[in-house]
Amino acid sequence: MGKFLYFLTYYKKSLLTLLLILIFVWSLFSVQWNADLLHPGGGVTTKQIFQALLAPDLSPEILILALESTWITLVYAVAGMSIAIILAFFFGILASGVLSTSRFNLFAVSGFFRGILGFTRAIHELVWAWLFVAAIGLSPFAAVFALGIPYGGILGKIFADMLNDIPEEPIKALETAGASKLQTLLYGYLPLVRANIISYVMYRFECSVRSSAIMSFVGLGGLGYQIQLSLSDLQYDEVWTFLFFLIALVVLIDAWSNLLRKRMVL
Amino acid sequence: MSESIIKMNNIAKHFERKIALSSLSFIINKGEHIALIGPSGAGKSTLLNILAGITNADSGEYLLDGKSIVNYQKRNIRSRKIGVIRQQFDLIASLPVIQNVLAGKLGEWGFFKSLISLLFPIEKETAARALNQVGLLDKMYEQTSRLSGGEQQRVALARLLVQNPEVILADEPVASLDPARAEDILSLMTELVKDKKQTLIVSLHSVEYAKKYFSRIIALRDGEIFFDLPSEHVTDSLLANLYALKGEAKDG
Ligand SMILES: Nc1ncnc2c1ncn2[C@@H]1O[C@H](COP(=O)(O)OP(=O)(O)OP(=O)(O)O)[C@@H](O)[C@H]1O
Ligand SMILES: [Mg+2]
Repeated sequence: MGKFLYFLTYYKKSLLTLLLILIFVWSLFSVQWNADLLHPGGGVTTKQIFQALLAPDLSPEILILALESTWITLVYAVAGMSIAIILAFFFGILASGVLSTSRFNLFAVSGFFRGILGFTRAIHELVWAWLFVAAIGLSPFAAVFALGIPYGGILGKIFADMLNDIPEEPIKALETAGASKLQTLLYGYLPLVRANIISYVMYRFECSVRSSAIMSFVGLGGLGYQIQLSLSDLQYDEVWTFLFFLIALVVLIDAWSNLLRKRMVL
Repeated sequence: MSESIIKMNNIAKHFERKIALSSLSFIINKGEHIALIGPSGAGKSTLLNILAGITNADSGEYLLDGKSIVNYQKRNIRSRKIGVIRQQFDLIASLPVIQNVLAGKLGEWGFFKSLISLLFPIEKETAARALNQVGLLDKMYEQTSRLSGGEQQRVALARLLVQNPEVILADEPVASLDPARAEDILSLMTELVKDKKQTLIVSLHSVEYAKKYFSRIIALRDGEIFFDLPSEHVTDSLLANLYALKGEAKDG
């Protein structure tokens, strides 16, 4: 008995690992491994999809359509990000509490705005899209707001956190030089977070392009919409063309953001 | 004939149960250059923060130019009287040098003027004059983070010149500089304030610099004034006692 306890305490970690492996194996057995699991034509379809990858549809009509859809996707993403940046700028500053003069002010105001930011980003952009489509129909505004609101919540929260993480010495120094709260924002907080927030915004911009493509599944037009149409027509070669455009867009934005970051290194 | 600018009367300050300053009293005249020395934890920074109006004393009276410090609550009124310089991490590293220097004007400027100046610097000549005085005119548009520690300290000095307060407080301004740069900054500092008859109070860890660049030395130990003498009256045995470790001091 004593020996067993000794064994338990010294091999706790290995026992735990063993237990987890057993659970995993058991979970494999609980799946019904029969022919129903795979779609009967699945093998064929997979083959078709991969064949299409090597031969995407490069006919002029499809290329023009892809270009147009890419443009729509990009425009929604840019417009959505613009709204997000404006929201994040004002709400982020208020949520950070760097302008608050009294303790009460700080808790009340920053608590309130942190709450709003939390609410807007708790809801996924697709859900916002459904809500907006339900409310104002299939209009570009639905896509733009559906993107802008949750992204504003995310950016605003990160912005507020960055403002809160600024070391206090430079700010104190500005205050002793006679700066007001707003002036410390201009000459202290904003320049100090500039590099970080810009690179984060660029990252989010990349995400927003992907979201914007997905968003169009809701029926708002753009690359996602075209992908959906081609998929239901089983035109995998077209699907790949659109996907390549989406990839190219993301890669381009990434290259741009790298360029910006390099120019801005401290 | 000399007018007093700072009067401290029985100033005391404690943090929780630790006494940082106990019942300090002294008078400082306009234009005096004072070094504040003492072992770590003696209360130098606490005293400078009280002088700057950043922290409030628990008890005692602090008169700045004849008026109690409570009359200087407004930042832009206080900034005309008192300026502070610490180590180079006080600057905004991501702004160009000129903006850091012009930040000395923020007390005088309103919001819109400071916003515009951030895009198109106003009062360039003021900044240029100050930078020229500290020998950094050629770095006016450089990003501050690209400057060396010594150069950054000069930028902080230039900001102070632009702010142009009557009293300048400095907490270990040369602690992170090599000896040559340190002496350079100290001599520059003491020279520049002479022209405008500004009062200078500097805390230092180096007794040698204190004696070389300052006419009066106030020594703190355990929150009390250990001595307050003209530099030439400070003897080696006084200094030995000032910096003696706890045990030694009791024995001796
Ligand atoms: N914010 C604070 N909270 C608690 N105790 C503090 C605080 N600031 C200072 N003290 C204490 O007050 C005493 C004086 O500190 P102070 O920083 O003024 O010393 P100093 O002379 O500047 O030391 P150094 O030469 O190391 O900078 C120290 O014992 C310190 O621990
Ligand atoms: Mg100190």
